This record gives sequence, structure tokens and C-alpha cells, in this order.
Amino acid sequence: MDYQPYDDKTQLDRQIERYPLSFTRNPSAPLIQRPLTLTERTGPVGLERELGAGPLDLSRACVEGPSRPRAVGQLISVFGRVTDEDGSPIPNAIVELWQANSAGRYIHEMDKTDSPLDPNFTGQGRLLTGPEGEFQFYSVKPGAYPVLESGWWWRPPHIHFSIFGVSWMDRYVTQIFFPGEPLNETDLLLNAVHERDARNRLIFEYDSTSMGAVNAISYRRDFVLRGHRQTPALE
Amino acid sequence: MLPSPFCTIGPYFPYDFVDGLEDLTHFNGIAAQGRHISISGRLLEQGGKPTRNSILEIWQPDANGIFRHPLDPCHAQADPGFRGWGRARTDAQGNYGFRTVLPGSYSENGCARCPHINVMILAIGVTRRLVTTLFFADSPESVRDPVLDCVPEASRARLFPRLVSTSGAAAGEYHFDFILRGGEETPFFLD
Repeated sequence: MDYQPYDDKTQLDRQIERYPLSFTRNPSAPLIQRPLTLTERTGPVGLERELGAGPLDLSRACVEGPSRPRAVGQLISVFGRVTDEDGSPIPNAIVELWQANSAGRYIHEMDKTDSPLDPNFTGQGRLLTGPEGEFQFYSVKPGAYPVLESGWWWRPPHIHFSIFGVSWMDRYVTQIFFPGEPLNETDLLLNAVHERDARNRLIFEYDSTSMGAVNAISYRRDFVLRGHRQTPALE
Repeated sequence: MLPSPFCTIGPYFPYDFVDGLEDLTHFNGIAAQGRHISISGRLLEQGGKPTRNSILEIWQPDANGIFRHPLDPCHAQADPGFRGWGRARTDAQGNYGFRTVLPGSYSENGCARCPHINVMILAIGVTRRLVTTLFFADSPESVRDPVLDCVPEASRARLFPRLVSTSGAAAGEYHFDFILRGGEETPFFLD
């Protein structure tokens, strides 16, 4: 595979006005160009058993039991495909997911809001992509929540994705937003992607063609991980 | 097709996705071959402030210099007791710690690679991962390596973890502070 550096125009800015940590946590020296050798072209693969990646339904508590009640909130079905830049599917990719519950609360000691936890919702899990790079999971739509220390910034509903592709170069982490949310207009992260087409690739598409389950709204998001197949050198 | 935009990991990455993965010395119930070492230190931002609640991931070859990955021509001989990949989080003081094996050297295009561990850093305020590589050698100044050679000479020594002790219980303990900005800033690679 051939890996080109990410094109800044299609990515978030590294430094974002009104987001102070983006100024104190990014290097001042220019990033150093290096050759891509075996160590960068390889990466963590085949860890699905150890990491416990499999079919995923976040809308029910992860504890197994005779009755697994649903979490409170709007039931959603999220699906899509993981491919490389050539559109070739990436099968057996581990996808880690985490999100707030429908009240905008995470199970995490850093979450200092007083929104309620839901005993039937953990908001975290891992799945594995299928032979065509496809994935699907159920969940409930996450709520918005405030960034308390900012004094003004409400994070729009979003789901976090962390994907293990085929190498160290395509290891990928992001957040995906919901279409039509008023808070999308003011979110510092979403709006740190300037090109509209690129920004839209951080937003789910409402899928009106499938119902997923009887009462689940379907959302689609495809992911393109960095990497082209190498073209053979000309003779 | 263009790669999807990267975004910050945020403050709420589940601890369940991290805890236990900072130890690479056992895999599938088998102990890893080679010399078991620890690497620990702090993640610091501008002004030497600790960067808490951040995630570090590492990727490295086993003690024999083999990657657990099909692209490595020797991967069938990879150590079955070594995962190759690990993840740790920083505490309120910015401390992290890994247990792993001293990576082996290997030959690539006729040149011997200096033993190394790849690192990526994910944190609030870091919209795109930061990547660097740590190198291990007795005398850093004499090392030739195709990746290390790209780093300005004056800052190469910053990529070598310090061996805390060579004897006793502390043998194999390495110390490394990642400095994201300012002062003896850690060199990071274009990604």
C-alpha cells in the first residue's frame, strides 16, 4: 500500500480558535517527513478475539441475562462500509465505538455533568467488519452535552469511532455527527473542516430506504481509511 | 476517494478499552520471548503541564525483530506470546506506563534497523494523532537508521528512552517523557 500524508484541506485544523488545548498540545516544530518502512506499513491486526469484537447492540445493556431491557432513547441502526482510498473493502477491521447516552451522559469519571446515567446503557463496544468491509449496530441516539470548562460550547450529538485497518498508517479515530442538528453549526470540531464535502463526511446520512428494525431510524456512514494500492512501476 | 477526516479522541474514551493493554509481555496465555522491559514517564504540554486522560498506543516488532503482521516476510515465526500492540492512558499527573519487550533489530533493504517502538498520541486538543518513534541503543550518537536520520541531528537524542538502571530489580526500566510543545519538544513525524 502507498500512504500519502493527510491533505490538510480535507482534515480538521490542528489549531482551533477558542479551543485552548489545541494550542498547548500540538508541536511548535514542523512535523518531520520520513520514509515509510516495514515498521509503519505493518500494524495491529488479528486482535478481534483478544479485544472481543463481534456483533454489537449498544441499545441493550452489555450484561447477559434472560431479559435485556432497552436503553432509554430513540433507537437507531447505524451501518456503513470501511474501505481504502481505492474503494477496496477492509474486512475484519475492529471498530471501537463509544458515545453518550440519550441524556448526554458518559460512564466516565471525567464526565462532571449531572445528567442521569441509564442502567441499561454502557455506550461502548467493539464490532468487526464483514467480508465487504460492512458493519451495522444498534444504539440509541446520543444526547448533546456541554463542555463545562468552556462556558458556552455544547457538543452536538455524536458517536466516536476508532478503527483498526491494516497498518500503523491507517489507524483511524473520529467522531460522527447527526444531520440537521442546530448545534452542528457552532461545534468547534466539526467546523474545523473547511471544505464542505469533507465536513459532510463527518455526518451520518439519514437512510430513508431501510427500516433496520421496526422502530429504529437508520443512519449510514462509510469510512475511507488512508491507503492506495501501489501501482506497478512503468517498465 | 479521500480519507475520512480524523478527529480528537475527546475526554471520554472508555477505560475498559485501555486497562490491561499496557502490558505486552503476555499474549494468548504465553509469556513473550526476550528481555521484558518497562517504559514509563509523563506526557507534558506547553509549560511542562501534565496532559492527563490521554491515550498512547505503541506498535513494535518482537524480541527477534519480527512484526506480527502478514507484510513481514518472517511473520510465521513471530513470537506467539507477543501482541506487538499496546495502549495506555495518562493519570492526573500525566503518568503513563507500558510493560513490553526490548524490540529486536532486523534488516531492511540491506541495512540494520535500530531497535524501535512506534508511538501515537491521542488527546483532547489533538485533532489528528501525533506519531513518533522511540529508539534503543547504547550509544545513540553512533546510530544510523533511515527514519532516525530524518530527524534534525540536534534533537535525535530526544528519541532515546533513558535506561534508569542496568542492575538489580530496576534493570530494564526505561524512562521517557513526551513533550508535546515547548522546551525539549519531542520530535514528531508528518502523518
